[in-house]
Amino acid sequence: MIVAFGFLAGMVLVSAFGVVVSRNVVHSALFMSVSFLGVAGFFVMLNAPALAAFQVLIYVGAVTVVILFGIMFTQKPQVRRFATIINRQFWASLVVALGIGAFVAVIVSIEDWGDTKSGAGSTSVRDLGRNLLGVGQAPEIFSLLFEVASVLLLVAVVAAIVVSRRKAGAGEDSQVAERVES
Amino acid sequence: MPPQLQQGVDFLNAEIPLEFYLVVGAIMFAIGAWGALIRRNAVVVFMCVELMINAVNLSLVAFSDYLPQANGEGTSYAILVIAIAAAEIAVGLAIVLAVFRSRRTVNVDEINTMKG
Repeated sequence: MIVAFGFLAGMVLVSAFGVVVSRNVVHSALFMSVSFLGVAGFFVMLNAPALAAFQVLIYVGAVTVVILFGIMFTQKPQVRRFATIINRQFWASLVVALGIGAFVAVIVSIEDWGDTKSGAGSTSVRDLGRNLLGVGQAPEIFSLLFEVASVLLLVAVVAAIVVSRRKAGAGEDSQVAERVES
Repeated sequence: MPPQLQQGVDFLNAEIPLEFYLVVGAIMFAIGAWGALIRRNAVVVFMCVELMINAVNLSLVAFSDYLPQANGEGTSYAILVIAIAAAEIAVGLAIVLAVFRSRRTVNVDEINTMKG
């Protein structure tokens, strides 16, 4: 257990660091997917295999592909210098982030969580589904949250199409055409 | 089996305390916050926000597995968080694309007015 935990923790944290400091944006996206894969491994260790499958399908699959498409549409070639990717608040934000991390880590370490034991919660997919629909032991708010999430996903899909749609005459093509002509 | 070997096997099979997962989540959250603060590229800022969301998901699932009175609800919250994060990334990248069309840049330091 401790070997798997150490391996996954190293994988997650090193690739999270790689996302921040990598000069190539595509490398950042690939580091991010490795980090998500490590989190999926943590979910397996935490007796949530269904959630690990969701994590691999949605994050490692879909979100990484969407972000890679975003990079393809918007990025210029790789930058050479480190200073061009990082703004002037480097040291101040390092202090802030270290402060946040140390504060939260110390708080969760000294807090008394009571009688904790791995595998104490329910682990079956059946209970997960019942929880998500707010039936049985689960709080009823989950049924509302489930419906709101589905409406939100529909709204997000429609909004993504509307926002990124190319306006007639004002799009990229006309600008490119102007540049070619001039 | 000699006692040293038995000790080593016990160490390897020992249960991991809840705090370890929470500390990993806290460090991952801090790295994501750091990246979201310092990077100039809007797409990388989105990636760092996703890292922070995943760190919180990890903490939720750890609580759901370790606390007996949690009743496995953290996992359900984690699924809702994943759905909302997917919606956020879709709309966010669409906005980045629209900004890139009008400004020819995704540098968040240069994008300081809302009307194109």
